Amino acid sequence: MTPFDYQRIPEAAAVPAQLTPTVRPLAGGTDLLTRLKACLDRPDALVDLKASDLGRAIDRVDGGWRLGALVTLSRIQHHPGLRADVPALAEAVSQAATPQLRNRATIAGNLLQRPRCWYFRNERVQCWLAGGEGCPARSGRNEHHAVFDTDGPCVATHPSDPAAALVALGATVTVLDGGGGERELAVADLLVPPTDERRVEHVLAADDVITAVTVPSAPRSTYLKAMDRAVWAFALVGVAAAVSADGEVRLVASGVANTPWRLAGAEAALAGPGLTPEAIDRAAAAATDGAAPLAENGYKLPLLRTLTHRALTAVA
Amino acid sequence: MDESDLPTWPPGTDLETVGTGVPRREAPAKVTGGAVYSSDLRLPGQLYAAIARSPHPHARVRSIDTERARRQPGVVSVIAGEEGGEGVTWYEESVPLFGPVARFAGDEVAAVAATSLEAARDAVRALNVDYEVLAHVVGIDEAQRPEAPSIHGTPGNRTTDPKVEERGDVAAALAAAPIRIEHTYRTPTAVHNALETHGAVAWWQPDRLTIWASTQGVTQVAQMTAEALGLDQSQVRVITEHVGGGFGAKQVPWKDVAIAALLSRRTGRPVQCAYDRHGENVAAGKRGATRQRVRIGADTDGRLLAIDAELVGDSGAYQTAGEAAALWGPYQGLYRCDNVRTSVTYVYTNTGPAVAFRAPGYVEAAFALESAMDELAHRLGVDPIELRRRNHTGVDQQQAKPWSSPDSLPLIYDRISALAGWDARPRNAPPAPGGDGGVRRGWGFAASDWLAGKANPPGYASVELRTDGSAEVVTTVQDIGTGTRTVLAQVAAEELQLPVEEVRVTLGDTAAGPPSPTSSGSATTPTMAPAVRAAAADARHQLVAAAARQLDCAPGDVTLDHGKLVAANSGSRTVAEVLEGLSPAAVHGWGELVAVDDSVSVRTFGAAVAEVSVDTGTGEVRVTRMVSVPDCGRVLNPTLVASQIIGGVTQGIGFALTESQLVDAELGLPVNDSLEEYLVPTVLDICPIEAVPLDRPDTGANQLGVKGIGEPPMIPVAPAIANAVFDAIGIRFHELPLTRRRVLDALAEAASPDESEPA
Ligand SMILES: Cc1cc2nc3c(=O)[nH]c(=O)nc-3n(C[C@H](O)[C@H](O)[C@H](O)COP(=O)(O)OP(=O)(O)OC[C@H]3O[C@@H](n4cnc5c(N)ncnc54)[C@H](O)[C@@H]3O)c2cc1C
Ligand code: SF4
Repeated sequence: MTPFDYQRIPEAAAVPAQLTPTVRPLAGGTDLLTRLKACLDRPDALVDLKASDLGRAIDRVDGGWRLGALVTLSRIQHHPGLRADVPALAEAVSQAATPQLRNRATIAGNLLQRPRCWYFRNERVQCWLAGGEGCPARSGRNEHHAVFDTDGPCVATHPSDPAAALVALGATVTVLDGGGGERELAVADLLVPPTDERRVEHVLAADDVITAVTVPSAPRSTYLKAMDRAVWAFALVGVAAAVSADGEVRLVASGVANTPWRLAGAEAALAGPGLTPEAIDRAAAAATDGAAPLAENGYKLPLLRTLTHRALTAVA
Repeated sequence: MDESDLPTWPPGTDLETVGTGVPRREAPAKVTGGAVYSSDLRLPGQLYAAIARSPHPHARVRSIDTERARRQPGVVSVIAGEEGGEGVTWYEESVPLFGPVARFAGDEVAAVAATSLEAARDAVRALNVDYEVLAHVVGIDEAQRPEAPSIHGTPGNRTTDPKVEERGDVAAALAAAPIRIEHTYRTPTAVHNALETHGAVAWWQPDRLTIWASTQGVTQVAQMTAEALGLDQSQVRVITEHVGGGFGAKQVPWKDVAIAALLSRRTGRPVQCAYDRHGENVAAGKRGATRQRVRIGADTDGRLLAIDAELVGDSGAYQTAGEAAALWGPYQGLYRCDNVRTSVTYVYTNTGPAVAFRAPGYVEAAFALESAMDELAHRLGVDPIELRRRNHTGVDQQQAKPWSSPDSLPLIYDRISALAGWDARPRNAPPAPGGDGGVRRGWGFAASDWLAGKANPPGYASVELRTDGSAEVVTTVQDIGTGTRTVLAQVAAEELQLPVEEVRVTLGDTAAGPPSPTSSGSATTPTMAPAVRAAAADARHQLVAAAARQLDCAPGDVTLDHGKLVAANSGSRTVAEVLEGLSPAAVHGWGELVAVDDSVSVRTFGAAVAEVSVDTGTGEVRVTRMVSVPDCGRVLNPTLVASQIIGGVTQGIGFALTESQLVDAELGLPVNDSLEEYLVPTVLDICPIEAVPLDRPDTGANQLGVKGIGEPPMIPVAPAIANAVFDAIGIRFHELPLTRRRVLDALAEAASPDESEPA
C-alpha cells in the first residue's frame, strides 16, 4: 500500500468535480482496500462517499425500484419489497460474499469491483489488465476464467453476481459527472470488456459517480449460482433469468465472460414467451452456443446448461 | 514416580472426573478475546518484522540493495542475503537462512524490522533484489523427468533413495491372484492454513533469548533455535500460552523464529515476526501432493494376496524435520496380507517445503487403499465392511508383534455399522451415465489405522499441593488448542480426589522444568497424562505419609477420602490441616514417563461412514452425514474428544472436496495463496457429524489406557466420501479433490467415453 490522503465531502453533488485518475471514490472499501493493499491501485487520495449525502434509500418508483448508490447488499437481501418484486437481485445479493462483507459492500461498488483473476490480484505478476503485458491465465490455471469471447486480451470473468441479475432485469444506473451533468446508462452498457486503451471493465470516466440504480419490477425472476464451496466464493457460473413486464425473457450469465453475458442463443431458442418444457430444453442446449472454453474450464459448459435449465424452470 | 509403577486403570474402573466432559479451561478467555497469542504480544519497545520473499520459483540472488529500504521511516534494521543470516542454516539441507539461491516462490531473502508492521512491509517493497532467474520445475511427475532442472543436485530430484519395504513374494502373488485391481491415485497439495499464522516474538537480552512462539513444541523450538544460533539450550526460553492451530505445520520452528531472534540481537529490542496469509500459504509447510500406483491381488472371497504400492510424494524445495509422510503405513499394516511391497520416494520441486499435516502419509495413502478396497468389494459383490472383516489382522506384520488392541477394528466395524444403519442403507440402482440425472445419493465406508497415538517419552510433570488443599500441576508441555490443560487437570484431580476446579495447570514454558514432547503424532495426552497421574500419585503418597506421622500411625493405615485423610482408628484430618502441619515443608510430587512397553505395537484404528448427495447437473458433491468411530483408548474427556473428531472430519471434508494448492507451472507460483481462493470448508459445507469414540481403555498402551485422538479421525474421511460418490453416480475417482470441475468432467466423459474432454 502506498500512502494516500483521506477526504470527506459532505455534499455528494460536489464529489465528481474533485475526482481525477488519482483521486478515487471510496464506498464500502471491500474491493478497493484489497486493491490498495496489493498495490494494484496507488491513488493519491480517496474521497469517502459514505461521509457524503449520496443516496442510501430504497424507493418504490413507477414500474420498479430506485436504490441509492450506497445501499448495502445486506439491505437489499433483507428488503421484503425487493425480495418479492425483483427476486433475481435479492437472490444474487444473498449469494454474494459473506454476511460481514454484505453489511459493508454497496451496490454501486459491487458493479465497479475489479476481476478476481488470481494473476491480476497477485502482486508478483504484472499481467496485461494490471498494466503489464501478456495474459498468463490463457495458458495457465484458467479453471475460473471465461468461456465466451475468449479471443480478447483478457479472459477474466466479471466477478459480480448482482451485475448479471441487474442486466437481466434491464436495470440502469444514474451517473453524475464532474461538470454537474447527469445521465442514465443501462447496466448492460456500463460494463464492457477492457481494451488496450481502457484496461478496465466499465465505461465511466474518472469524474463519474454512480448515484443510483433503477431496477424494473420482475417478480418472475431468479438468480442461480454455482460455487466450489457452499458460501464465500465467487461464481463459477451464475445464471439470471427474468421475465419482464412485457413478457420478454432475458437470460444473463455470470462467471463466463469479461462482462455479464447475455445468453442470446438461448433467448432465441425460446422462440416466444411460452416457457414450455420443450422450449426450456432447447434454450438450455443453446446456452453454450458460441462458447470457446479454455483448457481447464470446459466443465463450465454443462454447468451453464444446467443452471439455464433450472433458472428457466423456476420462472416458468 | 514413574508412571509404570502406577496401578492400571482397567476397563470398568470407577472414575469420578476422568471420563466426564469438563469444559475446556481456556474457553472463557478465548471467547472473550482475553487469550493472548504470540501475535497479540506487545512488549515495550517491540519492533515488527516483515519478510522479503523471492517472487521466482528458482533464482540466484545476485545482490540486494537495501539502501532505500533503510531510509524508509520507521525502519530500524534490515538483514539481507547470506551475511544477513549470520551463518544460520535452515532445513535438513542446511541452506543459509537467506540463501544465495531461492528454490521456491516465497523463499526468504531478507527481512526488515520497523516500528510498525506497515512500515516494515513498505520497506520490504523498497528492497531492490537482483535475481538471476533459473529454470524451475513444479509437479512430481515433471520433477522426476531426466531433463528436469536439478534442485539440489540429486538424481531424479529425489531427496534420498526410495524407501522400499517388502515381505513375501509380491510379484508371484500378484501374478497368481485371480482378482487384480490396479490404479494410479493422486492426492493434492493441501495447506494447513491454521487461523493463527506462524509467528514469534523474540527478545535477545545479553545472556539469554526469550521466544514467545506459536508452536506445537516449546522444547523442540528451544533446542533447534539454540542449535541454529549457536547458543546453549539453557540460554533459550520458549513460551507458548495459546496456539491458534498447528495441524503439524508448527511441530518444527520456521524461519519466523530465527528472523525475530537475529533482528532482536541487532536491535536490542523485542521483535515480532508473524507470517502474513501469503507467507502462510507458500512458505509454512504443506501436505505434499502424491502419486500412488497401487496394485492389489485378492482371491475370489476378497482375501488380499498381494499389495504393491509405488508411492511418490512432493517434498517441496526442502526437507523439514518432524514426522515424515508415512505413505507406506496403511499398505503395510491395515490388513492381513503376506505379500506386501511399498516403495516411497520423495521428490524435490520448486515449491514450498512440505511438513507433517495431521496423520501425514496416512491420509493420502488411505484415499488410495480404501478406494481400492471399495472397488474390490464391488467387483466381488461383497459388502465393503464384510470385506474388511475378512482381511482383519490382530498383529503388526511389519514388526511381528500383536497390536496393543488387537480386536478394536472388528469392534469398530460392529459399532459403526449399527450407528450408521449401514445394513439398512438404501441400495442404489445403477445410475444412468452422465449429467443432469438430478441429485443422487450414496453411502461410503472406509477404515483407518495410524501408527502413532502412543506415548512419546520422556514426559515430566510435578504436582504441588497448596495449603488451601488445592493442587498445581506444572509441566513444560504446550496446549496447542486441543485441551491439554483440561485433561491434565482431570487426571490430577482424579488421583488426588479433588474437584477439578481445585487443580491449576501451568504449562507451555521451557523454564518450568525438563523437556516435554512436541505435540505431534497425537502423543501429548498419552505421554503427559500418565506423567501427571504419577506426579499426583507421588504427591498423594507424600501427603498420606505426612498424615500418618501427624496421626501417629502407619502410612498403610491412612486413606485419602475426598479432602480428608482418615486413619483406621486414630481419627482424621483434612488435607489443609495436614499441609498446615507440614509447613514450611511442602508436598511436591514428581511424575515421569520415560519408556514405553514395546512388546506390543500401539495403533489407533478408526472408521468412517459418509452419506453424500451428488448433483449430476452441477457436479456439486455435498456430504450430508458423517459417522466417525475412532479408537483412542480410554476417553478422558468426551467433549474434547468429540471436538477433535469433528475437527478432523471437517478437515477431511476439505481434503476430499475443496482443498488443493494450485501452482502455475510456467510461473512456478501458487495461484490460490489466500483464504479466498484456497477453499477450506465453511460451516455451511459441513454436515452433522456423529462422533462416537470406541472408548475402550487400551491398557497395552499405558496404565491409563489412553491413546491420542488429534490426527486419526481425518484419515478415513476422504475415501469414505469418494466411495459414497461412487455409490451415488457409479464413477470411481482416483484423484482429489472432488470439485465441480472434476465431477462434471467425469460425468461428461462417462456420457460420451470417446469424446475427449478438456484436460
Ligand atoms: C472475500 C470476498 C468475497 C466476495 N464475494 C463476492 C461474490 O460472491 N459476489 C459478488 O458479487 N461480489 C463479491 N465480492 C465483492 C464485493 O461484493 C464487492 O467488493 C463490493 O460489492 C464492493 O462494494 P464496496 O462498496 O465495498 O466498493 P468499494 O470497494 O468501496 O469500491 C469498489 C470500486 O467502485 C468504485 N466506486 C464505489 N462506489 C462508487 C460510486 N458510487 N461511483 C463511482 N465509483 C464508485 C470505487 O472507486 C472502487 O473502484 C467479494 C468480496 C470479497 C472481499
Ligand atoms: S485473464 Fe485478464 S486479468 Fe487475468 S491474467 Fe489474463 S489479462 Fe490478466
